[in-house]
Amino acid sequence: MSTPILEVNNLQVSFKMFAGEVQAVRGVSFTLNKGEVLAIVGESGCGKSVTAQTIMRLVPTPPSYIKGGTAVFDGKHEITTMKESEMQKIRGEEMGMIFQDPMTSLNPTMTVGEQIVEGIRKHQGGSRLKARNRAIELLSMVGMSNPAERLRQYPHQLSGGMRQRVMIAIALACNPKLLIADEPTTALDVTIQAQIMELLQQIQEQTGTSIILITHDLGVVAEMAHRIIVMYAGKVVEEGNVNEIFYDSKHPYTWGLLRSVPRLDSDAHSELASIPGTPPDLFAPPKGCAFAARCPYAMEVCLNKDPEHFRVSDSHSAACWLLHPDAPKVERPVEVGGRTHG
Amino acid sequence: MLTYTLRRLLYMLITLWIIVTVTFFLMKLLPGDPFGDAITRLPPESMAILKAQYGLDNPVWEQYLKYIGHVAQGDLGVSYQYPTRSVVSVIKTAMPASIELGIESMIIAIIVGLILGIVAALKHNKAGDYTASMIALIGISIPSFVIGPLLSYFVGVKLRLLPPGLWLGPEYRVLPAVALSLSTIAILTRMMRASMLDVMNQDYIKTAKSKGLSTANIVDKHMIRNAILPVVTILGPIAVNVLTGTLVVERIFSVPGLGNQFVTSVYSNDYTMITGLTLFYAGVLVVMMFFTDIAYSFIDPRIRLGKGK
Repeated sequence: MSTPILEVNNLQVSFKMFAGEVQAVRGVSFTLNKGEVLAIVGESGCGKSVTAQTIMRLVPTPPSYIKGGTAVFDGKHEITTMKESEMQKIRGEEMGMIFQDPMTSLNPTMTVGEQIVEGIRKHQGGSRLKARNRAIELLSMVGMSNPAERLRQYPHQLSGGMRQRVMIAIALACNPKLLIADEPTTALDVTIQAQIMELLQQIQEQTGTSIILITHDLGVVAEMAHRIIVMYAGKVVEEGNVNEIFYDSKHPYTWGLLRSVPRLDSDAHSELASIPGTPPDLFAPPKGCAFAARCPYAMEVCLNKDPEHFRVSDSHSAACWLLHPDAPKVERPVEVGGRTHG
Repeated sequence: MLTYTLRRLLYMLITLWIIVTVTFFLMKLLPGDPFGDAITRLPPESMAILKAQYGLDNPVWEQYLKYIGHVAQGDLGVSYQYPTRSVVSVIKTAMPASIELGIESMIIAIIVGLILGIVAALKHNKAGDYTASMIALIGISIPSFVIGPLLSYFVGVKLRLLPPGLWLGPEYRVLPAVALSLSTIAILTRMMRASMLDVMNQDYIKTAKSKGLSTANIVDKHMIRNAILPVVTILGPIAVNVLTGTLVVERIFSVPGLGNQFVTSVYSNDYTMITGLTLFYAGVLVVMMFFTDIAYSFIDPRIRLGKGK
């Protein structure tokens, strides 16, 4: 359980635009162990998707480029410097990816079968028939009825949830060691979301693959993830296991995220909580803590100096000056995990 | 699918009927008649006999009804220029050259246009893109009546590489086909380029990449097939382009085709010939549009399978 499959160290990714450089990912580090489910959480534009797609080198270059840092996959592949031809051997074979919108991520002019089979044939060769049988096996594994018939269908004949199942089948085609799910449920109905999450969890238990689950919804990850990384403005602000993040989080941004998860037991008159303000402009990131402008506990130091990660426990750390021994003690607000009364 | 086809056929007939009617009455509005001009005027008596023979002394609406009646039976009348030949037989003799020229230029245009478009998109904002876009710009801005004589003069007369005109052996096909295809190449290049650029940014291309497919494979199987869809829709209008182009190009290169025949007929006020050829051209166009739609549904499964509705 503790052999790392992926070690990301100080990864920096920027986009070169006419107006300047957008620093989408500004030094992200994390380790993913074999068989582990790691969730990356944060609001839109915090760099979580860019981080994930950089691990598969799917971000178009230009305009993006890897400015610094390393990402070592399976102890031997240094992804940030790999050639495209070498990446092609790893993609699909050792890592698979599920995208956000199943309505647009399947090719409309190819049958579901062709789209599953082409990856299998590319990496494992073998006869058309063998690949087809594998595709049928995959489709039944992701819970599709009549898999042999589904192979001949086109994406537009399937519902959103079914398409996402097909996407999962494509990603799993070659038994990858790492599965990256980039907001796999965001574009789906709530009931379907639950089914897809359940499916991912089931697959994880069956195959023991490592999963990086990217989402902006903490509710989605609670049941499935082992560890959670909270990202803000291109940086990791807090990292810990599920219990530490849900019950003992230390970063005010994590508190804000937890507070914005809607709950069933809140009364009808309470308002949905949100974090006031907007994320900083990544053309020119602030000098101090990127969250300081929106943080109710911001101190002088927060505006001037970016906080280091402070260790809370072996598995838990947060980048916030409140954790400094000299900082005033701030109690974790009681209403975290619920709603504020408005 | 069957009701769709039948409905389309009905629309096609209505379209053709409107075209014949409009052309017929427009012809009657033209000054002059088929029997010579001011210099070679016939004596009034002979004129009256001729007019009576062709039924031109009847009221226009009567002529129209009679003509429509014949057309409905597939008889386009007798040519005024060649009194011994029916319009249908003239079309039959002139058609092969035109069809051959049209097809050859379409083939050149599709191959060159699509390749240029694909190259331009894959080399977006690089030298290859600029070169292809430049060719497209030249093709769209120089009309065939300029490029035709230029080709004929430089390649045919000056360099003596290819015959500058006429329609004899295979080498005679090259220049007219090239001249005719140029503007089509330009349209197809621009269209294909835009379409490819659009497809390249689609999510499913990222999916294809995430499977570890090679770039060549992605371009071939995922990009081109999707990018070609919108291009197929304009093949109908493009056929129009080629067809109207034949009018000019056949004249320039003395190709004994329909376009050339058409121009001659207009000079000599050959009513039946003009109306007949217009009808024929329109018919070809309408049928081409129809086949474009059918072809489109074969490429795009979303349309093909919509037939149940």
